[in-house]
Amino acid sequence: MKKGISLILVLAMVLISLSGCSAPAQSQAGAPEAEKAPGYKIGIVTPTLSTSEDEYRAGENMVAKYPDIVKHITLPENFNVELETAISQIVSLADDPEMKAVVVVSGQSGLLPALQKIEETRPEIITVTAPIWDDPDMMAQYIDINLDTDWARRGQTIVEKAHNMGAKTFIHYSFPTHLAKEAISKRKEMMKTTSEQLGMTFVEIVTPDPQAGDGGVPAMQQFLREDIPRQIEKYGVDTNIFGSNCPMYDVILDEALKLKFIMAEQCCPTPTQAFPTVMNLEIAAEDVGNFDKINAMISEKAADADMTGRLSGWPVPITIFLPEFAVEVAKDLIDSGKTPEEALSSEYLIALAQDKFGVGVEMNPMKPEMDNYYLTIMDSIFY
Amino acid sequence: MRIKLKPPTIVILIYLAMLLAGGFYVGLPLFPILSESMVKFAMNGIMVLSLLPMIHAGVGLNFGMPVGLSAALVGMSLAIQFKLQGGVGFLSSLVFAIAIAVVFGAAYGKLLNRLKGREEIAGVFTGFAFIPLMNIFWTVAPFTNRQMLYPVGGVGLRPKISLDGYFRFILDETLVIQLGKISIPLGLLLFYALVVAVIALIFKTQNGKAMAALRLNSGFARLSGVDENRVRLLAVILSTAIAAVGMCVYSQSFGFVQLYDGASMLTFPALSALLIGGGGSRQATITNAVAGAYLYQFVYLLSVPVANAILIPELAELLRMIITNGVILFAMLMERRWQHA
Repeated sequence: MKKGISLILVLAMVLISLSGCSAPAQSQAGAPEAEKAPGYKIGIVTPTLSTSEDEYRAGENMVAKYPDIVKHITLPENFNVELETAISQIVSLADDPEMKAVVVVSGQSGLLPALQKIEETRPEIITVTAPIWDDPDMMAQYIDINLDTDWARRGQTIVEKAHNMGAKTFIHYSFPTHLAKEAISKRKEMMKTTSEQLGMTFVEIVTPDPQAGDGGVPAMQQFLREDIPRQIEKYGVDTNIFGSNCPMYDVILDEALKLKFIMAEQCCPTPTQAFPTVMNLEIAAEDVGNFDKINAMISEKAADADMTGRLSGWPVPITIFLPEFAVEVAKDLIDSGKTPEEALSSEYLIALAQDKFGVGVEMNPMKPEMDNYYLTIMDSIFY
Repeated sequence: MRIKLKPPTIVILIYLAMLLAGGFYVGLPLFPILSESMVKFAMNGIMVLSLLPMIHAGVGLNFGMPVGLSAALVGMSLAIQFKLQGGVGFLSSLVFAIAIAVVFGAAYGKLLNRLKGREEIAGVFTGFAFIPLMNIFWTVAPFTNRQMLYPVGGVGLRPKISLDGYFRFILDETLVIQLGKISIPLGLLLFYALVVAVIALIFKTQNGKAMAALRLNSGFARLSGVDENRVRLLAVILSTAIAAVGMCVYSQSFGFVQLYDGASMLTFPALSALLIGGGGSRQATITNAVAGAYLYQFVYLLSVPVANAILIPELAELLRMIITNGVILFAMLMERRWQHA
């Protein structure tokens, strides 16, 4: 009797696990074919939800917008160990004969081989990255369209913006692990040079290291809590504070509301970080992900704190904008029947961003001779 | 009470004096720093105190402190969920936190009772395992106060929740006394004193004495009729509950509730503070915990700005870490030599 029961249980488990495996595959491959599809598909590859909320939601949004066209798959959770899985997943997108474009979003390096493979087997597929971080020259050679944020140039634009907002001093908070990264130390040098050109005082302060130090993120934030009032007392309220690490902004913004100094731009400019936490935004269920609404709420809270015009950022998180924009670019190219080589230019991308998202952007080639690698800077929103 | 200074404390005192001189030399505003040192002391001090019951019962250093801290995070999240503000919010946070900590502590204590003699390493792993478990809880827990939820997805709790409008600075800003240029946060210090008094009282009870007996000679204590597992369990629950209270106090002072991995980084500073104060895994007094907490926090408070002012920026943080941690290590070495001399 007992044997019988356990046999049934085992059979049930096998069945469940089998159906569990096959279900997503069916819905991915089968469902779109059943409906009247427009005849082509665009694949988008993003990290998982727990790895990065923004990119994942961007993929979801695109599926919701174009359910018959966009196919969203995720990279393995354990990206570094399962790079091979990631590559084969991306390559498998090209097995679908209707696939016309593949967008890869990862913010990590190592995925270039997957796109090279697609380029070899199906050269007509448009490959887009938004962004991946492999060698730029190789990427420009093998990938049709590359999009990324203009990290280095922000060292200039942020300082200029702070200057226009009335800052006389520019404070840069960072720590050793970050300063060892080329992009960050380059940006810092750029900030220093620009400050000097504009006649501003540049102050560099090192905080306890959250990645290597003894107290982690809390110790870094606690130090900022103690140090910012000292610096503002020393340099006055016409000071802009910049920190190289996202968690710093919970404290920087909180102190800004109290002490009234300037915060021209976050390190990762987005209305969804620091602002909702510090300002205690109550975002209603229907407004979740509605950036116009969230920005309006921030402006209102800034006005309450008498901080109008002293806080600024980008209206949409770049990590949501770039993946969605990449899908729109691919769709636009396919619909108009143009090849990337014919269509791609700064003007084309800027016009498309304005048309589809209503945001102003700058798109500059990564290097003057590259015609398919563009770096983005978004127009600011002032709260 | 006669205060005997142990070598680690003396070494840290000398280092502190050097830092103060350095701070004076570079023109740091010393009075505000003195005021701040009292806030930092009390905000972190209760977590240091929470180590005592377990050491008192011979269970060792509480490396599994994240268990208690997580209980407090759940407690505070509940208070925010029900929009309980001000004093009511803080008190109900404490009540929720302690209630949950008793449950968590009981489970943790049962685990440690099965691993006698290996409590410290078991505690480390419990902490490591418990935080990811709580991370899953934060993303799926059905909280509905929209001030706590992710702004893009709308499901799951934000990594940090602001206490502005709830009970931020509720202790910090109670009964602040201006003494010349120094402001003394009397409310916060009184709350700290209350926790000290509670611990001292508990140590004086029957159970407290049983704990001490277990630490000194567990075989003898068992023969005298002490129920070893029960008393150890009690000590672990007590440590966990006090850690939870400590986290509530820390958060009201910090201004945010830090969910997710926030709880993982607070254990080592608390342990270091106790070691600096002259305590150890076999014996530690309330005086050790109080002195250690103050010295550790004061050194931390002073060393970063002094290092930033004296050294070039790229080196400041690295040298500061080497010197501060080196001094702690040196202090412990001195204790060894002093014991063996």
